[in-house]
Amino acid sequence: MTIKFTKYFVILFVLILIQKTLIWLISLSAYNITPDLVLIALVYIAVSEGKIFGSVTGFIAGFTIDLVSGSFLGLTALAYSVTGFAAGGFRTEGDKYLTKLNFLIVIFLGSMISNFIYYLIYFQGLSLNFIEIFSKYILTTSTYTTLVSVIYIIFPRKKVLKEGY
Amino acid sequence: MKKLGYFILDLKEYITLAVLIVISLILIFLNDNPQIRFLRAAALTSFGTVESGISAIPNVFDMERENKQLRENNIKLANEIASLKESKLENIRLTRLLNFKDKNTLGVVSGKIINKSLLQTRNTITLNVGESDSVAINMPVITDAGLVGRIVATSRNYSIAQILYNKDMRITVKVQRNRLDGILSYDGVSSVTVANIQKSADVNVGDVIITSEYSNIYPAGIPIGTVTETGNLDNLFKKVVVTPLVDFSVLEEVFILKFVSSRERVELEKVFQKK
Repeated sequence: MTIKFTKYFVILFVLILIQKTLIWLISLSAYNITPDLVLIALVYIAVSEGKIFGSVTGFIAGFTIDLVSGSFLGLTALAYSVTGFAAGGFRTEGDKYLTKLNFLIVIFLGSMISNFIYYLIYFQGLSLNFIEIFSKYILTTSTYTTLVSVIYIIFPRKKVLKEGY
Repeated sequence: MKKLGYFILDLKEYITLAVLIVISLILIFLNDNPQIRFLRAAALTSFGTVESGISAIPNVFDMERENKQLRENNIKLANEIASLKESKLENIRLTRLLNFKDKNTLGVVSGKIINKSLLQTRNTITLNVGESDSVAINMPVITDAGLVGRIVATSRNYSIAQILYNKDMRITVKVQRNRLDGILSYDGVSSVTVANIQKSADVNVGDVIITSEYSNIYPAGIPIGTVTETGNLDNLFKKVVVTPLVDFSVLEEVFILKFVSSRERVELEKVFQKK
């Protein structure tokens, strides 16, 4: 159990590091669209472990990102906590939502929730209206994050291979 | 009490979420708190160390943009350097001229060349000073290096000077070393030569040619050029080629000497020649 949790946190830490340093390699910088690798891992962890673990992990990961990014402290923590909680709701026996298309749907929903909370608060006080925020940031970032997470279903997990589905 | 405990246990997920949301919101509102700033600074410092190591990996997309921007900056800076160089050279030239002006006992008017011809048989320069600056016909034009020519036409604000490379130019000159007299002129093609120098005369390459006191236009002793070639012109005279000290191709500023020869002398010479 401890090893599993340690593994989760190491993966999250590495992904935070990549998210903050090397993400430009796969970003669509001309359109300000950046995939959220941490969110993909968070959704996976939350779907695997449930709402409480998902929301706490989301809070810690979000808080760490806020600390190192210099943006609103607590904003990513808030977005990830809610996302972790929501994704935890998809926890089922047999990890039904960790397979192929199901996982992509959960990623998309999680990303939409996260980006919705983040960008709506982030752009408060600016001249952007909701439609612009939704179309330029929330929807595009969520779609791109979902596309990047396709890599997860291209390389099947050991458990999936073992069980043959 | 037990029921309340079970109730809370049932809601533990929501309570956890609520607590996390409240903490997040408190953090958002406390963004300017000194403790939060300290915490953030500490995190940024440690993360920055890791980040600086990773940043060694080049961002090809950014590099292209950066390259373009650097090229633009380069052009801008090159233009600025060219302009600064120009100012520096102008400064050097003007300083030299000012030193010369201080040394010169005759009154001078400084002028800028606004037009010049160097490829014709009768070459001239146009100056941005004229009668309103007390410039008059026949005044000598010089630089710190030597003689340029003389004023041949004036208007209120402009004047034209005949330069050494002008077929109409005749100047009585001397070889500075041995005071040998001659008449300097331009052959209309490429050379400035000194005529009327006897074949047996002692003129060597490197000798400096200066204006003579016999001239009605130029004060004596203004350097004109150096002898660069000597040879026999015919059975009687020597061919002496002179290279002017003034480089006309880069000439930009000149001085007009307020020197007008004695009217009494000119009148006397005219009368005598008529006889």
